[in-house]
Amino acid sequence: MLYEKKHPYLDAFFCLKTTINTILLNQSKVLMEVSQSIILQSECKHCETPVKEDHSFCSECGFPLKGSDQDVAKFYAKRVMDKRKTNNAHEKIKAARKTLFIIAAIITVFGFFIYYKTQDLVPLIINLVVSVVYVVLGVWSKQRPLIALILGLLLYLTLIIITAIADPLTLVAGILWKILIIGYLAKGIYSASSINKVA
Amino acid sequence: MIILCKNCNYIFETEVKFCSQCGQAVVKNVSSTKLKKVATIIGFYVAMLVYMLLVYYVETTFPNNLEAEIIVVIGFACIVLGFASFDLKPVLQLYNNKAIKFKHIVFAVITPVVTSFVVYFFIGFINSLVAEGASVNYFQEYLYLDYPLFWATFFIALMPAVIEELAFRGVLFNALKEVTTTRLTIIATAFLFAVIHFSIFSFLWIFPFGLLLGFLRSRYNTLWLGMIIHFIHNFIILMIDYYNFYNY
Repeated sequence: MLYEKKHPYLDAFFCLKTTINTILLNQSKVLMEVSQSIILQSECKHCETPVKEDHSFCSECGFPLKGSDQDVAKFYAKRVMDKRKTNNAHEKIKAARKTLFIIAAIITVFGFFIYYKTQDLVPLIINLVVSVVYVVLGVWSKQRPLIALILGLLLYLTLIIITAIADPLTLVAGILWKILIIGYLAKGIYSASSINKVA
Repeated sequence: MIILCKNCNYIFETEVKFCSQCGQAVVKNVSSTKLKKVATIIGFYVAMLVYMLLVYYVETTFPNNLEAEIIVVIGFACIVLGFASFDLKPVLQLYNNKAIKFKHIVFAVITPVVTSFVVYFFIGFINSLVAEGASVNYFQEYLYLDYPLFWATFFIALMPAVIEELAFRGVLFNALKEVTTTRLTIIATAFLFAVIHFSIFSFLWIFPFGLLLGFLRSRYNTLWLGMIIHFIHNFIILMIDYYNFYNY
C-alpha cells in the first residue's frame, strides 16, 4: 500500500483539507442564503427600512424605489422644502408663545394703570390673576403648543367681549394691537395643528 | 385598521406614512382633519361668545320680557344643535344610558348637594371680601312673571343643564378629543366652560365643577350624569335664593 509507510505530516494534511472544505462549503451556504434574502427583501436606500419587491415607493419615507435619478432628486428637494416648512412652523409657534407672554405683560401694566387711577384693588387683582393664567399658558405651550395656543386665543377673545360689554368703545380702542395679537396666535395655532404634516 | 390612500385609493392593512404605490404622504390627511377640527372648536366658541354679547344687548333693551328670554334660549340651542349636526352620530351616542347604574345616579344626586352648598358659602365669602362679587338673586329676576318659581327653574336650572352639557361635554368635547388627549380635553373644556361664564370669581368654582363633569363624560360616555348633576346644582342654588328672598 502506498500509505502503509505513513508520513507523520500526512494525517495532519488530510485533516486540514477536510476542515477547509467544510468551512468553504458552509461559507458558500451562508452566502447563498444572504443573497437569497437580498433578492426577497431589499431595503430602502434612504432610510434602510426593508421594502417589498412590488413597492414603487418606500412606505416609511416615500423614497422612489423604482424611480429615475430625476425622481430621486425631486424626493430630496421635497425633503429640504418640508424641513424648511417645519422650521417655519416652529418659528411661528415660537412667535405665538411670545405673544402669550406679551399679553400677560400688557394685562399686568393695565392693571397697575387702573389701580393708580382709581385706587381700586379689585381690578388689579383680576388683571394679575388673568396675566398669571397667560404666563402658565405660555410655559405650557412649550409641551402642548396647540391646546395652549387655542386656550390663549379663546381667552383673549373672551376678554375683548367682556370689556366690550362694560364699555363698547373699547372694541375699537387699540384695534391694530388686537388684530396683531389675534393674527400671531392664529398663525401659531395653524402651524401647530399642521406640524405633523411634515414631521 | 385599514388605511386608504386618498390619491390612488390603494388599501393598506398596516399603518404606513407614504403610499407604496404612488408615493403620496398618507399621514397628510390626519393633519388636515385636525385643522378642520381646530377650526370647528374656535368657530363654535366664537359663535357662543358673540351670542353672549348679543344676549347682553337683548336683555338690556328688553328687560323683564318673557318672549325675549325664550328667543335667547332658542337661539343658543340652535347654535349648539347646528354645530352638533356637523358630526351628529358621536353626539347622539352620548345620550345612551347603558353604562349608568344605580350607584352612579346616587352619586349624581348627592354630589350637587355638596357642590351647591360649597359654592353658596364660597360666594358669600367672596361677597364679604369684595363688594362687587356675584350678588344676583336668581329667583328675584323672575318675579315679574306669573309663576316665578317655574320660569326660574326653567331658565336657571333646566335649560343650562341640557344645552350647556351638550355644548361643552358634547360638541366641544368631541371636537377637542380628536386633536388632543382625553386628559387635556377634560381640562380644556372645563377651562372654556369656566371662562364663558364671564366672572373671575366664579371661575374658581366653575373650573373644578367642569373638571368633574368632563371626567364623568369621558369615563361613562354619557351626558345624563352631567345633566343630572348640573340641574340639581343649579336648582339648589335657586332654591337657596328662593328661601333667602322670603326670609330676609
